Amino acid sequence: MSIKLRAVRLKLWFGTSVVLTAAVLSGRGEVTRDYALDHPAPGSIRFTWIYGSIASATNRDPRIQVQGYNEDTYLMRENLAIHWEGPFTYLLFGNDRALLIDTGATPESKYYPLRDTVDSLIKRWCKVRGKTDVPLTVVLTSAEDIAQNQAYAQFAGRPNTTLAPLALAEAKKFFGLSDTWPTGTATLDLGGRVVTVLPTPGTHKDGLSFYDPYTAFLFSGDFIFPGRILIANDKDYLASVNRLQGFVAQQPVKWIMGGHLEMTNLPGVDYPRRTTFKPTERLLQLEPATIDEVAKYAASTMGQSEIAVRSDFILMNRVGPGARALTRPPDLPPVPATPAIRPRP
Amino acid sequence: MKSISFGSLITTLLCLVVTAHGAGKTIEFPTKVAAPGTFPKKWIHGSESLLDNKDPVVQVHWYNEHTVMMRENKAYADGANFFFLYFGNEKAFLLDQGSITQHDISPVRELIDGLIEEWCKRNGKDDVELIVANTHLHGDHYSAWNQFQDRPNTKLVGLTHEERLAFFGMTNFPEQRVEYDLGGRKLILWGSPGHDDAEMATYDTYTHLLCTGDMLYWGLITIRGFAEKWAPSIERLVKFTDEYPVSCLINCHIEMSMQNVDYPRSTSYQPDEPPMQIEVETLRKLNAFVKTIKNPRDGEVYYFDKIWLYNQKGGWETVEKNKFVY
Repeated sequence: MSIKLRAVRLKLWFGTSVVLTAAVLSGRGEVTRDYALDHPAPGSIRFTWIYGSIASATNRDPRIQVQGYNEDTYLMRENLAIHWEGPFTYLLFGNDRALLIDTGATPESKYYPLRDTVDSLIKRWCKVRGKTDVPLTVVLTSAEDIAQNQAYAQFAGRPNTTLAPLALAEAKKFFGLSDTWPTGTATLDLGGRVVTVLPTPGTHKDGLSFYDPYTAFLFSGDFIFPGRILIANDKDYLASVNRLQGFVAQQPVKWIMGGHLEMTNLPGVDYPRRTTFKPTERLLQLEPATIDEVAKYAASTMGQSEIAVRSDFILMNRVGPGARALTRPPDLPPVPATPAIRPRP
Repeated sequence: MKSISFGSLITTLLCLVVTAHGAGKTIEFPTKVAAPGTFPKKWIHGSESLLDNKDPVVQVHWYNEHTVMMRENKAYADGANFFFLYFGNEKAFLLDQGSITQHDISPVRELIDGLIEEWCKRNGKDDVELIVANTHLHGDHYSAWNQFQDRPNTKLVGLTHEERLAFFGMTNFPEQRVEYDLGGRKLILWGSPGHDDAEMATYDTYTHLLCTGDMLYWGLITIRGFAEKWAPSIERLVKFTDEYPVSCLINCHIEMSMQNVDYPRSTSYQPDEPPMQIEVETLRKLNAFVKTIKNPRDGEVYYFDKIWLYNQKGGWETVEKNKFVY
């Protein structure tokens, strides 16, 4: 039985290998993949995210950490020693196109070589897929978010590359949302992998979220993420969250993948702004039910200058980014007082 | 003639013996005129990418031959604290130790050992006793304190308000001024609460530098007890400058740009910093401004030049605005 199984496996492996080798050697016969699954594609986040260090100058982590979620999905994080925001960017591949969602917080490629990293990932992916190149589209969850638009210019002039425009009017046109913004949706076809573009203004007037049915990920930038969600327009924010609830009800969502991570692994406790050493971060991914909780507090804080501290996020309405909640809501478990590794004044 | 030369021989021998014992010659620290000193043109001030920062962990600057000023690197400690070392004939006085606990990252102990050795060598002394003191009791000022626990010939003032009062012999905090003698060089200390209840101001009779710690610097001053603590402390500083010559005020942070725009706390790169020192005239104008604030409100920020007064209820906060509001 086991011998037979192994034989089958070997044959399978050998078969795949032959196809790939033939494709690579011949330069044609590209491997195509069927992205239409009836379940979220398998994939995993096996490694701890890099979390900065006590002294940034002595940091020896990679400038950009890449986690291969699966062969067609890459999750990246900027090193906190380069920029305290440590934003997350995402690279998705379909049969005909690659999609980069967001570009991080640092413009200089010598510090934050996002383009080089993306180039390398594309090159390796193309080799495996028997392609010489694949076109790249660069989109932003918000063109005005200075923690996600900084390396955008690194991709200007890159061959075979389309950049979503920065100005909102042009971006609407680019996605085909001019007439339906913000209630409509659009799609980006990567070749068998069709990503939905969802207008989600609220933390930024030009906010966008992206839904990938292959992984069942919702890429949400700073609209919903485990950290201090800073509302810029509460009316828009609530409307966008409510629309997102409607969308999610129709689609399987495995995880919400935000662009930032500011919560610790204690419920309702965050790392203050500009923290560059975050050894006990919460997981990046949020469960889809979080959207309902966000909606609840987006409604209750509407019109108020208020900070809603929740286990997995902190919703901040009509306050500055440095504002802190002075009290902890009674429904959250108490947090033990522990001496800080780096005491603050 | 004979007896004179014999006498001078004795004197020479005595001098040799004394020198061999490491007392060196006694340094004069005159107080009438401020001992001259210089500030660096530019302090280290972080970098665009902290990962790529090549500055030293602590910048060391000799203000004059008996006074050291140090600044931490923002790529090692986001507060970029200043701290100070004053030398007298018998004692060296370390005012704050910086914000890094980890000895392997910031070996403050070895840094201070080296400075003391250098100074002693230059002045023909074997050693001086080290006094480890603090402007106030916030963590970013005493983080390296423990590095001095097992240092020989060292006294640690303490990390509680009570121990500090006992060490300096203060019985009427904050009004009482006490002298602390480093051996010919006297410091004057008194209470300066308002940012931290245990804060003390330190005046050096030799350089006429007045250290105001964290209760007054270019930046967002977080104040706990505006009317009852901080404003009287500012008044006390002004009163001191009425009675004593003060060359300028020194302090522990810079959080402001030359354009009077703040670098919010923990900003990693501050290329447009003003000099750290503050003129006495600014203190006087500030005092006049503070007097116009009759009923300071909780959470309110009062803007004066490059000094922003934040009447803080508690917690940790910056005054940034959400620039994406639409």
